[in-house]
Amino acid sequence: MLQYFDPDKDYGTPAQLSENMITLEINGVSITVPEGTSVLRAAAQADINIPKLCASDNLEAFGSCRVCAVEIEGRRGTPASCTTPVETGMKVTTQNKRLGKLRRNIMELYISDHPLDCLTCPANGNCELQDVVGAVGLREVRYGLEGSSVETRTHLDAEKDHSNPYFSFDPSKCIACSRCVRACGEVQGTFALTIDGRGFDSTIAPGQNQPFLDSECVSCGACVQACPTSTLMEKSVIEMGQPEHSIVTTCAYCGVGCQFKAEMKGAEVVRMVPYKDGQANHGHSCVKGRFAFGYATHEDRITKPMIRDSIDQPWQEVSWEEALSFAASKLKGLQQRYGRESIGGITSSRCTNEETYLVQKLIRAAFGNNNTDTCARVCHSPTGYGLKTTLGESAGTQTFDSVMYADAVMVIGANPTDAHPVFGSLLKKRLRQGAKLIVADPRRIDLVKSPHVETNHHLTLRPGSNVAFINAMTHVVITEGLEDKTFIANRCEESAYQAWREFISEERHSPENTESITGIPAEELRGAARLYAGAKNAAIYYGLGVTEHSQGSSMVMGIANLALATGNIGREGVGVNPLRGQNNVQGSCDMGSFPHELPGYQHVSDDQIRGRFESVWGVKLDNEPGLRIPNMFDAALDGTYKGMYVQGEDIAQSDPNTNHVQAALRSLECLIVQDIFLNETAKFAHVFLPGASFLEKDGTFTNAERRINRVRKVMPPLSGKQDWEVTQALSNSLGYEMNYNHPSEIMDEIAQLTPTFASVSYERLEEMGSIQWPCNDETPDGMPIMHVESFPIGKGHFAITEYVATEERSTRRFPLLLTTGRILSQYNVGAQTRRTENQVWHDEDVLELHPVDAEDRGLQDGDWVGITSRAGGTVMRAKLSDRMQPGVVYTTFHHPGSGANVVTTDNSDWATNCPEYKVTAVQAVKVSEPSEWQQRYNEFNNQQQGLLKQRRRNKAAARD
Amino acid sequence: MGNHQLTSLIKMANQIAANNTHIGNETEEATMVANHLRKFWARSMKQQITDYLIEGGEELSPIAKKAVAEL
Ligand code: SF4
Ligand code: SF4
Ligand code: SF4
Ligand code: FES
Repeated sequence: MLQYFDPDKDYGTPAQLSENMITLEINGVSITVPEGTSVLRAAAQADINIPKLCASDNLEAFGSCRVCAVEIEGRRGTPASCTTPVETGMKVTTQNKRLGKLRRNIMELYISDHPLDCLTCPANGNCELQDVVGAVGLREVRYGLEGSSVETRTHLDAEKDHSNPYFSFDPSKCIACSRCVRACGEVQGTFALTIDGRGFDSTIAPGQNQPFLDSECVSCGACVQACPTSTLMEKSVIEMGQPEHSIVTTCAYCGVGCQFKAEMKGAEVVRMVPYKDGQANHGHSCVKGRFAFGYATHEDRITKPMIRDSIDQPWQEVSWEEALSFAASKLKGLQQRYGRESIGGITSSRCTNEETYLVQKLIRAAFGNNNTDTCARVCHSPTGYGLKTTLGESAGTQTFDSVMYADAVMVIGANPTDAHPVFGSLLKKRLRQGAKLIVADPRRIDLVKSPHVETNHHLTLRPGSNVAFINAMTHVVITEGLEDKTFIANRCEESAYQAWREFISEERHSPENTESITGIPAEELRGAARLYAGAKNAAIYYGLGVTEHSQGSSMVMGIANLALATGNIGREGVGVNPLRGQNNVQGSCDMGSFPHELPGYQHVSDDQIRGRFESVWGVKLDNEPGLRIPNMFDAALDGTYKGMYVQGEDIAQSDPNTNHVQAALRSLECLIVQDIFLNETAKFAHVFLPGASFLEKDGTFTNAERRINRVRKVMPPLSGKQDWEVTQALSNSLGYEMNYNHPSEIMDEIAQLTPTFASVSYERLEEMGSIQWPCNDETPDGMPIMHVESFPIGKGHFAITEYVATEERSTRRFPLLLTTGRILSQYNVGAQTRRTENQVWHDEDVLELHPVDAEDRGLQDGDWVGITSRAGGTVMRAKLSDRMQPGVVYTTFHHPGSGANVVTTDNSDWATNCPEYKVTAVQAVKVSEPSEWQQRYNEFNNQQQGLLKQRRRNKAAARD
Repeated sequence: MGNHQLTSLIKMANQIAANNTHIGNETEEATMVANHLRKFWARSMKQQITDYLIEGGEELSPIAKKAVAEL
C-alpha cells in the first residue's frame, strides 16, 4: 500500500492526530488512517485522488462543490468525501458511471459560468479548475455564457482590483469555493473576506466591499495560495508566467523562520510559496516573507568592493584582492600602533550561523582578541543571561506548535501579530479554540481585541515597571498558595527557593502595594495571576518589551520564576518563550558572537574549553572577555578603539543615542562594512565589501524555537562571493588561514566544538528538514521541548529579582514616556522592506500619542511634532491613537531620516547593557520644520550619496 | 584619552551593585558583583575601574567599591 507524505501534494483535508486507527476499504484497497480522517484524505494517502475543488488540506472541509462525491456501501446518495469521516469497515467507491456523470454535470455548471480564456489566463498550467475539468472528462457545455441570465453574469463583468501591490483580484474567474474566506479566517485569523449570496451568485469581497488595500487585509497571501483559479493571483506570476523549478529555503526576516519554496524561472524568483513541510510555519507566512523579496535585485545593491582613505572622499571601486589587502593592512597597522585590543568586529543576526561563526573566529583567532559582539546585544541579550541563570540554557523552551496545547497564554511586551505574524496566527487559532489570554503591554495591541479574539486581562503596565509587575504576579501565586509544590520539590533547588520565597512573600510586592508603580489595578492583576496559575497548561511569550529595559535581565528571571513556581516547564503547552526579533538572533548568540563566550555559550576563561578551540583553530586565544558594542563606542571616543569589521548590521541607525554612536563611528580610522546596501553605517566606512542576500547563499538560520533551518542558494551572488567567502578571504589576507569549500564544512567544525550541536550536519538537516538543538549523542533527533526531566544545571534556580526603578523617569521637563517598537510591513532598520512595495503600508515613522496628550499640546493628526529627550531631538508626524494610554507615546525606527534613536538614551540593562529602548522620558511639542539633527542628517546623507555617485562616474571614466 | 568610557563604567558598576542588594550581607553582595565584572568585563574595563578606585573612586556606590577592590 502506498503510504508516504509528500509535502507538495494537497490531501484535501487536514491531518488528524488521533491514535485510534480506523481501517476501511476504498475501491477494494484496505486503508488504515487515524480516526477523524476524511474519506477524501484517506483515499489521497493511498494515491487514490478523488477530484475536489472547495477542499484543501490546510482548511476545514466545507462541502460546497460536491465534485468529491463518492458511493458508500449501505448509504444512500453520494456523500461528499471531504466532509465524511472514515468508519471501520466502510466500503467506498470513488469512480463509476454514476459518479462520473454527476461530476461532469457539476463541472459543466461551473464552466458555463466561467470565462474561457484559459490560454491567456495567468493560472494556465497551474489551475485546479482546469485540472478537475480534465479529470472528470468534460467534453461539452450545454448552457453557454450567452444563454445565461443577466443576474448570473454580473460577476463576469465585475471589476478587477489591483490595489494590493503584490496580488490582483479578478472576480470574473471566481468559482465561489470560499477557500480564500476560510484561509483568511482559519489560517491567518484576520477575517477580512466575506462571501455574499448563495450558490453561483455568491461573490467574494474584502472588508465592507472595499478594495483590498483599504480593508483589514494584512496581505499575508494565504487567500492567494488557497485560490484554485486565477481569481487571486500574484502580480509577479501575471507578469512572468508560471515558474519552472523550485528550491526550499528559509525566510530572512523574523525569528519565526518560515520555510518557503522559492519558485523560479532560471535565476529569477517568480514567487515565494510557504512550504507545507516547513516545521515552523506549516505552509503559512506573512507579507514580508512571501512578497517582500524584491530588495534582493534592487538597483541600490552595491556589487563591487570599494575603498577610500577618509569618509569625505569619493569611493573607489576596486578588485576583491585590492579591497581585502587594503583592509588587512589598515587593521594590522592599527594593531601595531594602538595595540592588539584596538580593533574588533560585529557579527550579524541576519547572516547565517556559518557566517557568524566565521566572523567571531576571525576576531578571536586573527585579530587575537575577544572584541566581538552582535546586534542581539540590543535585543535579546537579557534573555540569554536570565534564562541561563534560572533554567540553565539561553533559549526558549518550546516549539511554536506547543501553543496548541496551552490553556492560558500570557503575552508580555510582545506584539506577535505584527512582529511574529505566523506565530501570531497560530496563537489566535488556539485562542479561538478557547484558550485564555493575558496581555501585559502599555499599548492596546491587536491581540487585545480582534475578530473572534478578546483578551481576558489587559494589564496596561507603565513602561519601566516590569519587574514590579512580575514580582506582584508571583507574590500572588505564593501568598495565595497557588504554587505547584510537587514540581518545586522535585525539580528546583531547595535553598534558592526558600530564600526567594521569603523575598517574594514580603508584603511590599503585593499588587496593592505596587499598583502605584505599575498602574495596574490590584484586582485585575490578582485575577490574571489566578488565571495563569490555575490553568492546566500556561505558557508565557515575551518580546523586546521585556528585554529592552534597565532591568531586562531581572525581568526575564522573574518570568522564569513564575513558570517554575507554577510548574509550567517541561511539557507541551507551557514554557518560557522569547520571541526573537531578527531571523538569526538565536543563531548569532549560539555561534559565540558575545565577547565573553565561545560558540555554545562556553566562557572564554575556561582553560579546558578554550584549549579545545585553540587546538582546532591552531592559535592561542585570549582568556579575558572583550568589549561589548556600547563599550566599543566609548573606547572609540576615548581613542583606544580604532578599527572595526561590521557584517550585515546597521548600528548607526539601530543603536540608541545616535549622536553618540555617530561620533564614535567618525572617530574610527578603519571601518569595514559588509552589506548589500550602502546603509547608514557604511556612510562612515573606509572599506565597503558587497554582501549577498539570503537568496544568494547556502547556510543555516536558527529560529526562536532553536530550530536550525537550511538556507539554500537560489541564484548566484551578485558580487561573486557569499558572505562567508568574504570573511574567509579577509582572514587569509590577515595571514590567518581559512580553507572552507562549503558552509557544510563550517558546520562540521561547529559540531566538533559545540556540545549542543555535536550531531548537527548538513546530511542530518537534509534528512530531517530541520533540527531543534541540543542535538548530540543523547538527543540525536534534537529536542523540541526542553527541560522535560531535568535542567542543564540540574535543578531550576529561583533568582531574586529586586525591583530597581530606572533612572529614566518622566519629569516636568520631559513629562511623557516614549516607547519604541515595530510594525508588520517593515523590518528593523527597514533596509530591505523600504526597498519593496511594503512602503505602501508604512512610508514614514510617526509618533503615536493619546488624544488627550495631543490636545494638551494643540496637536492634530498629521501635524509635525518635535520630540526631545536628554539625548537629542527629532521631528515626526503625529498620529492620534487611543491604543496608547495618556502619558505614553510610541514610535518605530524603520526609517533613518526620522531619527527615533536620536532620542533614545544610553541607559541599558544592568547585566547585559541591552539598551533601554522601551523607556525614554520625552517632551513633544508642535513644530513647523525638521529638527537640527534631521537637517544635519540630510546634509550628510546627500554628501555621502554624492560620494557614491562620484564613484560611478569614476568607473565610467575608467572605461572610456 | 577622554573619559567617556570611565563615565559609563562607573554607571554600569553602580547599576550592577544596585541590582544585587538583596542578600543583606555586603561582603557576599560585593563578591557577586565582582564575579559579574570578572565574567563580563574586558581587561581594559577592569583596569580602568580599578585605577579609578585607587584614585578614590568617589562616584562608586559602597558595594561597587568593595567589588572593584576584589578584582
Ligand atoms: S492576504 Fe491574508 S489577510 Fe488579506 S485577505 Fe488574503 S488571507 Fe486575508
Ligand atoms: S477567490 Fe478563489 S478561493 Fe476565493 S472563492 Fe473565488 S475561486 Fe475560491
Ligand atoms: S517575516 Fe517571519 S513570519 Fe513573516 S514569513 Fe518571514 S519568518 Fe515568517
Ligand atoms: S471538495 Fe468536497 S465538496 Fe468540494
